Amino acid sequence: MELSQVRYFIALCKTLNFTRAAESCNVTQPAFTRAIQKLEMEFGGALIFRERNLTQLTELGRTVRPHLEAMIEAAEAATALANAKMGRTASSLKIGLGPGIGAASIASAVREVTSKLPDVTIHFEESGPAALIEAMLMDMLDCALLPEFTELPERLNRWPLYTDRALAVLPPDHALNQKNAVTAKDVLDEPILVGEYCGGFAKQLADTTGFSLQLQRCNGAATQLLDLVAAGLGMALMSDRLRYAAPLTTRPFHEPELQRKIFLTSVAGRPLNVAAASFVKLCRVKAFS
Amino acid sequence: MQSKLDALRASRRERPAWDESYEEMLAHLGQNGFLEHVIKPGESFPEFMLPSAEGELLSLADFLVRGPVIVSFFRGEWCPFCRLMLAALTEALPQISAVGATLLALTPETGGLALKMKTYHGAPFEILADVDCGIGLAAGVVFRIPPKYRALLGPNFPARHGNSGWYLPIPATFILAQDGHIAWRFADVDFSHRPEPGDIIRAVANMNGKP
Repeated sequence: MELSQVRYFIALCKTLNFTRAAESCNVTQPAFTRAIQKLEMEFGGALIFRERNLTQLTELGRTVRPHLEAMIEAAEAATALANAKMGRTASSLKIGLGPGIGAASIASAVREVTSKLPDVTIHFEESGPAALIEAMLMDMLDCALLPEFTELPERLNRWPLYTDRALAVLPPDHALNQKNAVTAKDVLDEPILVGEYCGGFAKQLADTTGFSLQLQRCNGAATQLLDLVAAGLGMALMSDRLRYAAPLTTRPFHEPELQRKIFLTSVAGRPLNVAAASFVKLCRVKAFS
Repeated sequence: MQSKLDALRASRRERPAWDESYEEMLAHLGQNGFLEHVIKPGESFPEFMLPSAEGELLSLADFLVRGPVIVSFFRGEWCPFCRLMLAALTEALPQISAVGATLLALTPETGGLALKMKTYHGAPFEILADVDCGIGLAAGVVFRIPPKYRALLGPNFPARHGNSGWYLPIPATFILAQDGHIAWRFADVDFSHRPEPGDIIRAVANMNGKP
């Protein structure tokens, strides 16, 4: 298929009117109609019902539309980025991070975008999934990293990036530091500090084992919770992709394995600016180990 | 490479399901005059900047500054015909470099598969991810996979592209002159047909005015 045919089809999806769609594409109506017909031949079926007073997409038309839009957007973004590099385009890259999801794993993609688009402003927002989804739908965020178990509206694209595994985050001189790995039984008598930004691993542990754990609620930012861990109030169960500064120590947690998949999400069908589009592509291509 | 491709095709055609889907695809693309849409010598190749297997954003323009560029579309890490071609190109890379050209391989695959492809072959050239087949579309090489071939690829195939679109490029190869115009191309709707590296190298040498 040809780029122009796909462009015409998308214009037709938007206007549902051959005359206006042809005009918006600066092409004569016969040429426009021929292009749509050729596309239909290639797709092996009608994309549009042509009725006297009603033009509407067929089921095939509706099925192929979202991806054809994504393809055009990909083509335009790849070319726009090549051109943007030559000029200096000020833009922003606004990334949402779900609870307990750090920026370390996506930092190389951000660095790559800023190396090509030096005038881009980076904006991170860490919040609960519902707030981030809302912000994306309101166009306040370009994309967000969200954990599985989040109910995502149909309108969001989602790409699996990596799996987060829980670490036992311990105070210095804690007895569990002597072990190679920590198990559920080891932490039965340990106070576990739990906050909104811990990634839900403690709840996962309680749910999968049925053990009654000594959970100590601690609302606030993750840094404050970790300060309390360092001061010896208890331990925490948090992602292996976050960085923990001394004097904190960490041990892998197993039996049971606590993990969650992390997805990159963005609003389907909404064109992103060149920085955000490049970031999303880099993340989608990356081999997260 | 040709004899290896022929042998591979012959062995695949012994499987009825494969053979049927192969025939379906050739008939589908052949009847629709697919090659008419593929960009031709004399036209300019779409400019692009795409993520590399290693996670860098690389632009066509940066390579064209150094000399002619060979852009080759691949179907993916899973495709045995692509593997043969990648192996042949890896072997031929010293000669490609000797004529002053840069080879760029484009794949629609995501999720670390471009890197896997590169590592598997020890490919000493850039493999770029044409995410959502955008540049493939701009070059006119993308088609929607017909039903039988889709069934052959299986339900997990869309995850490789990170979309549910079921599109693939035909494995076309273009040689671009330094001004970005297409000087030579190989395009065939049959994915088991590939250009010989020797033909590509000769075409670059001819462009440079060398015999």
